Amino acid sequence: MSSMNHHNGMAYWRSLDELEQTAEFREAVGREFPNDDWDRLPPATRRQFLKVMGASLALAGLTACRWPKEEIVPFAHRPEGRTPGVPQRFATSMEIDGVALGMLVTSFDGRPIKAEGNPLHPDSLGALSAVAQAEILQLYDPDRSRRLLLREGGQQYVKDWNEFESLAGGLFSGAGAAVLAGAFSSPTLGALRERFLTAHPEARWYEYEPISRDNEREGTRLVFGSMVRIHPHLGGAEVVACFDADPLFDHPAALRLVREFAAARNPESGTGGRLYVGESGFSLTGVRADHRVAVASSRVPALLAAVANSLVAEHGLELPAAAAGFAGATDHSATDDERHFVDLLAADLMTHRSRSVVLVGPRQAPAVHALAAVLNHALGATGSTITYTADPSPDRPSHLEAISDLARRIQDDEIETLLILGGNPAYDAPADLDFADLLAGVPVSIHLSLYDDETSKLCTWHLPASHSLESWGDGAAWDGTLSLRQPLIEPLYGGRSAIEVLAIAADDGPKSGYELVRESLSGRSGIPISGDFWRRALRDGVVGQSAWETVAPPTDPAGLASAVDGLRELLEVGRPTTEHPELVLVPDAKVFDGRFANNGWLQELPDAITKITWDNALLISPATARDIGVSDSEVASVEARGATLDLPVCVVPGMARNCAAVALGYGRAAAGQVGNGVGVDTYRFRTTAAPGILSGVAIRGTGRSYELATTQDHFAIDTIGFSERNLRVADLVRETSLDAYLENPEIIHEQEHHPPLISLWKDHEYEGEQWGMAIDLNACIGCNACIVACQAENNIPVVGRQQVLNQREMQWIRLDRYFKTAPGVTPDEVDDAEIVFQPMTCVQCENAPCEQVCPVAATQHTTDGLNAMVYNRCIGTRYCSNNCPYKVRRFNFFNYHKDLADTTKMQFNPDVTVRSRGVMEKCTFCVQRIEAVRIAARNDNRPIADGEIMPACAQTCPAEAITFGNLNDRSSDVSRSREEHRSYAALAELNIRPRTHYLARVNNPVDGMPSSVEGAGDHGKESG
Amino acid sequence: MSATTTEPLSYLDNTGDDPTVRARLVVGDNDFHAVTNKVCGIVESPQPRLWWVAFAISSSLTLVLLAMIAYLVTTGIGVWGLMIPVGWGYAIVNFVFWVGIGHAGTLISAILFLLRQRWRTSINRFAEGMTIFAVVCAGVFPGIHVGRVWFAYWLAPIPNQMSMWPNFRSPLLWDVFAVGTYATVSLLFWYMGMIPDLAALRDRAKTKIRYYAYGLLALGWRSSNRHWHRFEFAYLLLAALATPLVLSVHSVVSFDFAVSIMPGWHTTIFPPYFVAGAIFSGFAMVVTLVIPVRRIYGLQEIITKRHLENMAKIMLATGTMVGFAYSTEFFIAWYSGNTYEAFTFMNRAFGPYAWAYWTMVTCNVLVPQVFWMKRFRTNTILLWIASVLINVGMWFERFVIVVSSLSRDYLPTSWGYYRPSIVDILTFVGSFGLFFTLFLLFVRFLPIVGMAEVKGVMPQAHLDRPGHRGHGDYHGDITGTEVLS
Repeated sequence: MSSMNHHNGMAYWRSLDELEQTAEFREAVGREFPNDDWDRLPPATRRQFLKVMGASLALAGLTACRWPKEEIVPFAHRPEGRTPGVPQRFATSMEIDGVALGMLVTSFDGRPIKAEGNPLHPDSLGALSAVAQAEILQLYDPDRSRRLLLREGGQQYVKDWNEFESLAGGLFSGAGAAVLAGAFSSPTLGALRERFLTAHPEARWYEYEPISRDNEREGTRLVFGSMVRIHPHLGGAEVVACFDADPLFDHPAALRLVREFAAARNPESGTGGRLYVGESGFSLTGVRADHRVAVASSRVPALLAAVANSLVAEHGLELPAAAAGFAGATDHSATDDERHFVDLLAADLMTHRSRSVVLVGPRQAPAVHALAAVLNHALGATGSTITYTADPSPDRPSHLEAISDLARRIQDDEIETLLILGGNPAYDAPADLDFADLLAGVPVSIHLSLYDDETSKLCTWHLPASHSLESWGDGAAWDGTLSLRQPLIEPLYGGRSAIEVLAIAADDGPKSGYELVRESLSGRSGIPISGDFWRRALRDGVVGQSAWETVAPPTDPAGLASAVDGLRELLEVGRPTTEHPELVLVPDAKVFDGRFANNGWLQELPDAITKITWDNALLISPATARDIGVSDSEVASVEARGATLDLPVCVVPGMARNCAAVALGYGRAAAGQVGNGVGVDTYRFRTTAAPGILSGVAIRGTGRSYELATTQDHFAIDTIGFSERNLRVADLVRETSLDAYLENPEIIHEQEHHPPLISLWKDHEYEGEQWGMAIDLNACIGCNACIVACQAENNIPVVGRQQVLNQREMQWIRLDRYFKTAPGVTPDEVDDAEIVFQPMTCVQCENAPCEQVCPVAATQHTTDGLNAMVYNRCIGTRYCSNNCPYKVRRFNFFNYHKDLADTTKMQFNPDVTVRSRGVMEKCTFCVQRIEAVRIAARNDNRPIADGEIMPACAQTCPAEAITFGNLNDRSSDVSRSREEHRSYAALAELNIRPRTHYLARVNNPVDGMPSSVEGAGDHGKESG
Repeated sequence: MSATTTEPLSYLDNTGDDPTVRARLVVGDNDFHAVTNKVCGIVESPQPRLWWVAFAISSSLTLVLLAMIAYLVTTGIGVWGLMIPVGWGYAIVNFVFWVGIGHAGTLISAILFLLRQRWRTSINRFAEGMTIFAVVCAGVFPGIHVGRVWFAYWLAPIPNQMSMWPNFRSPLLWDVFAVGTYATVSLLFWYMGMIPDLAALRDRAKTKIRYYAYGLLALGWRSSNRHWHRFEFAYLLLAALATPLVLSVHSVVSFDFAVSIMPGWHTTIFPPYFVAGAIFSGFAMVVTLVIPVRRIYGLQEIITKRHLENMAKIMLATGTMVGFAYSTEFFIAWYSGNTYEAFTFMNRAFGPYAWAYWTMVTCNVLVPQVFWMKRFRTNTILLWIASVLINVGMWFERFVIVVSSLSRDYLPTSWGYYRPSIVDILTFVGSFGLFFTLFLLFVRFLPIVGMAEVKGVMPQAHLDRPGHRGHGDYHGDITGTEVLS
């Protein structure tokens, strides 16, 4: 302002006031520019100047402190079709062992929170296994690796991707380059492999998976001359014979097979699907067997050979000429049980030719698979209950050959640079290769992995991988259907996917996964990559009609001859003895080969048969335990193939005599905070020569005991409890035989005796909906998928091994497992038993005992019949839990969410309260899902359609065993389920009127007439 | 007078069974003044060394209790051994145990008063005090056993901004009312009965603090005729009010279990069975405490052997009732044809908790049977040992009922085995610290024998004269009351 008065030349003014510098003008300027009156600043003294400058410098220093960089994208332009707070679902896929499984992932404002099956995917059909659902938790695992590491000379350096890229160009050009990948089905990865091998012609390519179906592949090569992939179809099967096979659980297409099996077993509409299982220990398929015989895995070939022999000799089945030797290869030391099993099965197979199927498990030798393929062929199963497609990579050597070859070359110093794409060979390679030691000696080794794990720690480079929910990709279903993978979220920790890293290694420059997938897709002949096609493929997650063609391969006499010889060799093997028992190494049902070891949901998931959490154990039958001299929860010292490990013993009936089993995948040293040191690393037993079945091991008791954290009582308990448990099972889990059921559909109600059930209170009245559930025990196979679905949906905490030992596990759904034995036997007399499952969660009693006793009215009946839990009213007296006859309420004994990482919290479902400590919780029938549908229906002014509401458990059940709906609607599925003859309520005599009903299990044994099924579990006897 | 206290102890024996001679209730050559001197002397003279030792121990244990509660509140109920089938453990066992003990006082002061059992006067103050302290200990547990202690006040029907009432169908709420009423009435009864004695302490006070403290508590008692008239009438009314409470409190506590649907809990016998057990345990605790106290403070002439013997007889009666209830439960479990019920009882006796069950049966049913023999009723050492065992047995009774029933209920898949944690055990031990701390303070500061009432039953009271009401109200001829010799 003052400057205006002193300038030279022309005066410029904006108003007369300014020109005149009136008081009004000065005031107006002062108002407009407060504190801007530089003229009024006092003249700076030296002291003042130094003061001000000192402070400025000090403050300037502060700005050097690092602040977290946040990229905030303003939501000024909302993406199309997106409403904040309304979840969206995206189709994507994950890959295990080279088979892609399609899923739909729910994303809440950009956070993926729950994985469900993709109904359009042939291996999912809308269902998802427990393991696949738990992927979500792995995505947010705070232990995932966050940076590139270079380990050199005992030092560790943090690097970034640019440094790796600039270095990677020269690494693979020489003769000593090799890539070790896992099994994969991704066409993009396949194309990149070709590009890599073209760019580096001297480089070698290996594929290794510790758990695979290579034996099955090899078996088909023996029979057909070329490798084919087997696709069983259980829907129309009347007889299914499984030899050490678990098609309902460990098959890549198990979710589809379960659905088909459940349909076949429906007593009203199914084909019967009589199931014969010969196996060394209970598999989930074995649990559902109508006739089961427990034989050591090494004796399974003999069992199948006996069936073949019986088919040919007694039933006149004609085998191809070259395979005739199979029938001669028989075994005369069979026990009565085995002989009975063989006779029944052979007769049944013959009666149901072309509607029967013989399946052999992946741990059996190729010759056994060959025999099964020959039998299926001769029985006319091909094309009806079994189909074949060509193997997608017929030139691939078996995984064991590949890793052995790689190990040999490393030993011979032929490998200079080794790129390991995923996998964890330092942990899971066969013990005789000493792969970890070899790997440490490779000059340049690069490991791309989600975790800085055992292998990464031995490599010179560790690259953080992006999770499958963070990356673009593709893969093929078991039947070949092309499945796309799209990221649900930016990589949380800056990881890259295998295709992106391989593109760098192939000198293809750093390319995004998106580009690579689109490139490869457009490169595939016959699929035009137009915008529409791409959008539809992404929306569906699968490319329709892209399954492989089925083939009908002719048999190959030369191969058959060698298969016959192979089988003869297997029959030489004697039975395991008490002194030299057999040990079977099985992939774990939860952590699989160990890759999911850091997943709390899976570690805490009770094993279906033993109910063990947070551990692997040596499974052994009661009689074998007595013979060997070990007892339940005792630590046994097991010696096999030069290694000695201490394993806790879990005595479980149904294991073959003198045969033990233990799961792989535990005892990880560098899995993360959750998985480190859980269980025992049994890969140390696994050798290239005997990867699955180890004969002649030594088992000794050590006298020490180790408490296994089980969510249910052990098989072995005190006599009085044991006999009572046996008595109660028959009423709680009702079952009958198909023949008896067809003769008298009311058979399962005949044992009900209780006085008329009259309520003390006035009954609730329901005008709109009242919800109900039906669980079909005949469909349920006990796969645990519902438990993980519930855990993911309802923010259920993981409590850890110690709290499971204290019986404080939090899962809302229990999968109750009962052993059934003949009445009157003591635990000492049992060696085999039948197993039944009963999913148990809050049954939302109409006359709820919990509601009456809560002093603060925190558990209340809703107007739609739910038994609601008001968390913020609950003060935690635990009276409701005491008074719950099903004991399905769960109490927050501690604040289980206190120590969660911020990333883990991102998984939480925002529609469900995270419960504080001191509060009771339980199944709500997924009330948040009910309300979401109700709101949508109300907005559309329409009634809620039947089947529109899907609780998380029902949604994911591969067997579709859980039906949910409105009981007021007489035509709803759940109402119709209640009308079924098989419908009953557990503990109905207490007059609590549960809203969940069960449908009785119907077995289908050969001679299932009422006279032979009297008493609990009687009909299970012939299999034991 | 001083010569009488040197009489041999056998002189103190007034346990004769000759029905023609009414037993003396206060033995020795005591007159009113001697009684006052003896009882007030306990409060007025320095405490023996033993008192200080006991106080040091019990107040330390009280600190342990407070520390355990602090740990519990800051960490969560998980510090206890509870789990899913067994949602109630030590806390509820201790609650029922202490409430049970709290029964003897009111029974002695109210029911025996109405039944004109004059012998009660020597021990009623003592027993009432014990009742109050036991109820205080009991009251600790329901408060701290809830998951969110800071909301425990929601149990009370307080008008609030949520417009929420508690659930009146829940037996836990009935508990709140029953125990609350019982504690209030017991406290009033105890305090009111103490007023004349507090006035005596006031009048004998030699320091200002004592004078004002007891003066305040004595509520201006001047021992006027009008005061006595009002006092005795009020006492009678409170006794009538307290009498049904003796029966109702433990009945309601038993409803916590009986109203549920758990086998082993859902039993109609529970109310009388619990009341009998409560009286049983209450008397056992009175005997446990009174034997050392009368010896240490030389009260053998006022709390006589006859008192102890009477209490032993009550224990014998109630112990046998409890034993009968145990066998009835078994009979009904079999007779009802309810297999769950039958299993629960077989499991109690022969399952994993059989050790607890047989401890209970031994202590509660077998041990009191020794009281058929006079030697065990009158020998203070044996009586004391038996009463301590009965206390142990009654704690185990509650443990068996609460824990063994829950541990194996309907579905075998959710069966479990409860083990207390160290915090459980220390909290229980700490509650004894609280109990004894309060008790020792009571001995130190308040008259532990109702002097005014005891004087009313002494020969010097000339009870043959008409016109007495309340305490000295004798109907019929009592002129035969003479010194036994």
